[in-house]
Amino acid sequence: MLLCGMLFLYGQLLAQSKTISGKLIDDKGNPVPNASITVKGTSLGTTSKEDGTYSLSIPANSKILVFSAIGMAEQEITIGDRNTIMVTLSNQLNTLQEVVVTSLGITRDKRSLGYATQNLKADQFVDRGQVNVVSALQGKVAGVNITNASGGAGSSVNINIRGISSFTGSNQPLFVIDGVPISNEVDRTNGGPLGTLGDNQPPNRAMDIDLNNIESINILKGPAASVLYGSRAAAGAIIITTKKGSGQKGRAEIIVSSNESFQRATGLPEVQNEYGQGSNGVYSNTTTNSWGPKFGSTPTVANGLIQDGQTIAYNPYPNNIKNFFETGIISDNNFTINGGDAKQNYTFSAGYLYQKGILPNTSVKRASVKFGANTVLRDKIKLGGSVTFMNTLQDGVLGGNGQSALGVVHGMPRSIDLQAYKRDKTWKNPDGSNNYGVASVENPYFGAYENPLKSSLYRIIGIANVGYDITSWLNINYRLGVDAYTDRRKQLFAVGSGRVPAGQTLDNPIYRSEVNGDLIITAKKNDLFKDVNFTGLLGQNINQRRFQSVQIQGDNLSVPNFYNISGALTLTSGSQETSTLQRLVGYYAQASFDYKNYLFLELTGRADQSSTLPTDKNLYFYPSVAAGFVFTDAFEIQSDVISYGKIRASAARVGRDADPYLLKSVYVKSSYGNNVANFNFPLSYTPAGAFGPTTVAGFGASTRLAPETPLEPEFTTSYEVGLNASLFKNLITIDVAVFDQVSKNQIINVGLAPSTGYSNVTANVGKMTNKGIEALVTIVPVNTRDLRWEVSANYTRIRNKVVSITPDITSFPIPGSAFTGSIPTIKEGSPYGVIVGGLITKTDDGQRIINPATGTFQSTVANQILADPNPDYQMGFTSNLKVKNFSVAFTFDFIKGGQILSFTAAAYKSRGALKETANGRDEPHILPGVIADPNNPGKYLPNNIQIPAQTYWQALGGLQSEFNVYDATTFRMRDISIGYDLPRSLMDKMKISSARISVFANNVFFIAPNAFFDPQVNTQGAGNIRGLDLQSVPNARTIGAGLKVSL
Amino acid sequence: MRKLILFLLILASFSSCKKYLDVNESPNNPVAVTPGVLLTNTTVGIAFANANDLNRATSLIMQHIAGTASQAADYDKYKLEGYFDNQWNLELYNGVINNLVKIIDEHGAENSIYKGIAKLQKAYAISMLTDLWGEVPYSQAGYGLKFLTPRFESQQDIYLGNTAEGIQSLFDLVREGIADLDKTPNVLKPGKDDIVYGGEVDKWKRMGNTLLLKFALQISNRNPALAKTIIDDVITANNFINSNSLDFEVPFGGSVGNQNPLYSFNNVNRTTDQMLSTRMLALSRSLNDTVRLAKYFTKVNGAFVAYQNGNTVSAPTAANRSKYNTFVTGSSGEAPVRMLTFAQVNFILAESALMLGTAGDANTYYQAGIKANMTKVGMTTTEIDTYFADNPTVVTLTGSQENMLNQIITQKYISWIGNGIEAFNDYRRTGYPVLTLPLNAAGHNPTVVPTRLTYPSGELQRNPNTPNPITRTDVKVWWAK
Repeated sequence: MLLCGMLFLYGQLLAQSKTISGKLIDDKGNPVPNASITVKGTSLGTTSKEDGTYSLSIPANSKILVFSAIGMAEQEITIGDRNTIMVTLSNQLNTLQEVVVTSLGITRDKRSLGYATQNLKADQFVDRGQVNVVSALQGKVAGVNITNASGGAGSSVNINIRGISSFTGSNQPLFVIDGVPISNEVDRTNGGPLGTLGDNQPPNRAMDIDLNNIESINILKGPAASVLYGSRAAAGAIIITTKKGSGQKGRAEIIVSSNESFQRATGLPEVQNEYGQGSNGVYSNTTTNSWGPKFGSTPTVANGLIQDGQTIAYNPYPNNIKNFFETGIISDNNFTINGGDAKQNYTFSAGYLYQKGILPNTSVKRASVKFGANTVLRDKIKLGGSVTFMNTLQDGVLGGNGQSALGVVHGMPRSIDLQAYKRDKTWKNPDGSNNYGVASVENPYFGAYENPLKSSLYRIIGIANVGYDITSWLNINYRLGVDAYTDRRKQLFAVGSGRVPAGQTLDNPIYRSEVNGDLIITAKKNDLFKDVNFTGLLGQNINQRRFQSVQIQGDNLSVPNFYNISGALTLTSGSQETSTLQRLVGYYAQASFDYKNYLFLELTGRADQSSTLPTDKNLYFYPSVAAGFVFTDAFEIQSDVISYGKIRASAARVGRDADPYLLKSVYVKSSYGNNVANFNFPLSYTPAGAFGPTTVAGFGASTRLAPETPLEPEFTTSYEVGLNASLFKNLITIDVAVFDQVSKNQIINVGLAPSTGYSNVTANVGKMTNKGIEALVTIVPVNTRDLRWEVSANYTRIRNKVVSITPDITSFPIPGSAFTGSIPTIKEGSPYGVIVGGLITKTDDGQRIINPATGTFQSTVANQILADPNPDYQMGFTSNLKVKNFSVAFTFDFIKGGQILSFTAAAYKSRGALKETANGRDEPHILPGVIADPNNPGKYLPNNIQIPAQTYWQALGGLQSEFNVYDATTFRMRDISIGYDLPRSLMDKMKISSARISVFANNVFFIAPNAFFDPQVNTQGAGNIRGLDLQSVPNARTIGAGLKVSL
Repeated sequence: MRKLILFLLILASFSSCKKYLDVNESPNNPVAVTPGVLLTNTTVGIAFANANDLNRATSLIMQHIAGTASQAADYDKYKLEGYFDNQWNLELYNGVINNLVKIIDEHGAENSIYKGIAKLQKAYAISMLTDLWGEVPYSQAGYGLKFLTPRFESQQDIYLGNTAEGIQSLFDLVREGIADLDKTPNVLKPGKDDIVYGGEVDKWKRMGNTLLLKFALQISNRNPALAKTIIDDVITANNFINSNSLDFEVPFGGSVGNQNPLYSFNNVNRTTDQMLSTRMLALSRSLNDTVRLAKYFTKVNGAFVAYQNGNTVSAPTAANRSKYNTFVTGSSGEAPVRMLTFAQVNFILAESALMLGTAGDANTYYQAGIKANMTKVGMTTTEIDTYFADNPTVVTLTGSQENMLNQIITQKYISWIGNGIEAFNDYRRTGYPVLTLPLNAAGHNPTVVPTRLTYPSGELQRNPNTPNPITRTDVKVWWAK
């Protein structure tokens, strides 16, 4: 049909008799390419070339030419008897006319879109002390939820657009740079014997992108917006456009920028400094608790302060926790040259970022070099491409509860002079073993300095583009994108370390690559029918993704401090390799119609063929339809109240394929046990009576079973309606969307009863819904040459519900859950990711029942919802004020609701370190609750059983206790940036075109009314598990200054 | 024309995809394996389950050892709820039972010997499960999607069978397994992959018959007649474990990741969690038996340092406490996990001669049991003879039947140091040795020694057939006294 239309158009071009030529330029004198030139009232027309020139044959009786281009005000010019017409088109001031980059790098007038997108320009997120492009978006985008893992250097950032739509698949959006999808994976290195708990916090790989190179970011929110990207963008897409040299009018621009900032940990709980290490009021160096005697107590044998006739040194160290977190430094420098003109241009940029983390011995170093160039040959062939090379080094410290540095530091005894170990470098004894003030506990500095995890990543992103204008209305384009990286990781455990006393070295190279080839044929025709403009697109996508993780684990290090695999006595414990290859071929078509520039209709269809689905059922199709109606234009409403109004609606379905290798049941090399005792095949043993050892292999059925019925793709169906409006002469602009998504046919490993002999089976099951409202309101109270003030507010409210799983299964854990007792769970009837654990037994009216024999809580009832991490709603508020050369921009965000289970809080309480634990320490305490009335079975009396403070706080401080679930409501000043552009007069003297100095701060302050710590952390980082603070690295505040000079 | 070219282009790209997309074979895992690698896995799995957390819990309940920190301190005080998910899930049902079902069902038809060994192992593993938890999935367990919610079967049905319900008795399962050992075909025969008996079928027959002895004694409170018949039959056939060298024990290795879990737990990862119990030490001293105790537990500067069960005071540091010695753990984790022993056989025969009137002299078996164990732990002949000479009242059964039973089980209890599960079985069957409650007892019922473990939450969550609310720890199992 599309081709037929093209043929029809071809025929229309035949009746012509006069030639008009000329050139289109914009306000700045730059040529305007791809502008539309039509003879008014006819279907005749052409588009301007790259250099802005055009030539059009018209009937002799033609009167008026209409010139229009995306983002420019339309102009009508009477032809008269001229043969040459030069036109200057002015840029549209109305923000709603903005041009946005959508799927596949296609630029579109935002006016024509039938779905929600939100575009951010660089100045809305640079100069704020951010390292990771994802956290740079925090608080600024409606419909998007972003949570940092922590303030640790290089820790990942989770981003979900419009909620979570896949039970166990990735819910991170697709990241696209200049039209090419790239990896934003988080690769975890197994924390050795600590398992998933012992991981450091690895980055989401979008962190490799240098923010300085970004021109703009467009967020495609719903399936309708991202459908052309297919399965990959089922969770939305982040479209990043980098800077190019196209606007330079032939001269080269050199930009040098430098930002220097400092970081400090924030949100640490307040601690008490009245009682030191001990239990039950008696000093003991075997406990991690501060339930010892009061400082200043007279030393006696009874209180433990005199031992073997010696008086124990016993003093408070009020800052021993706070000072473990160091002052971080971020130094971000970039050098960029952009040059050329619209036809031939190039860009070169080199950036280096150094971040010293807030944890000892942690850092991130990121270097990137980019070269890009574009050219046009013979006015018909466009060639372009870019190569970006990145090297990111991360030095991390293992986290998690248990004997990690952080597990030990949080709530540590108040009487240990922790920093002395660092000052004197005495965290280890001369024999190499751990030295700390608590027997058998690893010194946090030992963990930080002796057990590091280092990562060195080399990454290359290459993009090549060839376009050919077959005719003025038909273009064929091929784009090839390659993103490949190798992350060489090494994790060490020193001989003498707490968890791995025999020492361990783990070499873990991780390789990922992604290749995308897109063939896109576009046809554009104005006045396809009367007043109907048409754009058609046909395309094919070939995608290949490879992954390889090789893990070589050497245990039992024979030579201390020699971390080479050759020094290890055992190589088989955890050594393994995982490789995956998956491919996808997609075919897509899109037809867009535009009636009189006020009614828009877009039909899109995509069919994907995936290697991960059964061969005979691997092709799946999904359509979308989107419409926009600018009612103000249609009804010619010209009012001071409403100057622009558009309603839009879309319906879309998007499919998602499976992970590789799920179609067959397999066998795995066997292992047993966990961090307290473990066994891995092969077994090397000496049979009775034999002289030498024998080695035997052991395999077992994988705990996952293959699907019983052929696997099908997952589908998400989305309906969206929205409104864009400009009110009061563009003083206020509004963008509101309401959406309703249903995700079905989820591909998950459904949990099985353990006695079946298996843990789960892969199947298509379940249904989950997301309903939401998102709104963005922008107000420009003042807009003059010298003073511009823009404020905007965004609001997001999403309601997620797991409607069903299977008839037999009503809940199962999210993969990667680490602790029995607090399991992030997919539970029927609840929002995604509730944390399931034990709740204290309560009476019918909800009072906690106290055991009369102990005075503490009776028992817990298992399998209850402990916490729900999903917020009620969230809001962002940004302000950009420009007064002459000064600019002030800041962002606030407010997250209402959502809960977090905090192991950190538990540690401060149960260890007696929290400030409140010193209140009335020596007085009896009574837990809130009731006791059974002995005289009245079934009735309860208020609890009156007195217990010591230690018992009381330890009852409240159970790791997985409901008392450590906190409301995560947080109001935060996310960032502020104050800039000054040096005056032009001065610039001219110094022969530089512009210079800007700025000071900024990030995570300026926060108010969390219901938590004594910062509840906006997520220890497991980017991924589907949320709402757990597993003795996490705290968030960090960044303060810095920047200088940017353009020559 | 252009249209046609375009069409052909698209067509061509469609048809060439089939091969391009055919890349979904996993390079990471095999889809088929030999029965040999499954057998090594199940063998180690049974031993690991026997010596890991289940062993710790039962050894603490039985007061061989005392808990000084973490979970061990909980178990010591009878706080048992909320644990054992990994043991039930990942060690037994997902590690041992499912793979034994694979050997029997998928490899058994071609490999009778593997099938026979697998049945014997399955009988042993199921007995561990039912002895510890009572009602457990058995007939329907380990079959994957065939039985999505396996039935919980009563301990009586598991031991004695129930034709109406299609439950094969453990005795029949063992008999079938022994019979399979002589059958053909055997496309593959076990050799090196049989890490217990090196593929020697006769030794597996002895193991099987010894299992019959153990099972028969276990049910003797409920069905003494059947127990007597079975034991007498086995005695007559005279093909059971009859020397220490034939013990059913699984070897481990001395390097990291290959070690006996008793070693990795006590000597590497959790060195401050448990140690010798004061009560064990007192018993040993009362029997003048500290030479043997020193084989089981270390001394500090020539003296035992023990800890009171259930205590909460500061415990001695790892270096200053008595903990399992190399007999239990090996010098670097290479000690085998001992599951059926020659000493045990003698004590079984002594108890059944005494209580059921089976063939043989109880006292003779009793003394043979003590000697077998003393030899096994590494006491010299001189040391053993000296002990026998110096302690005639200990090594000779005297007094009432109850007293003699107490003597037998007390000696058997000492022989089981390092295997709390069997000591716990004997205690629940006979009530011996007499235990005193730990300090600070808690749990479901702080006034009695627990008589079973609680069901883990994973099974409760996903199998509606799991008794709910879970059975309390003070409810006796079917065969208990």
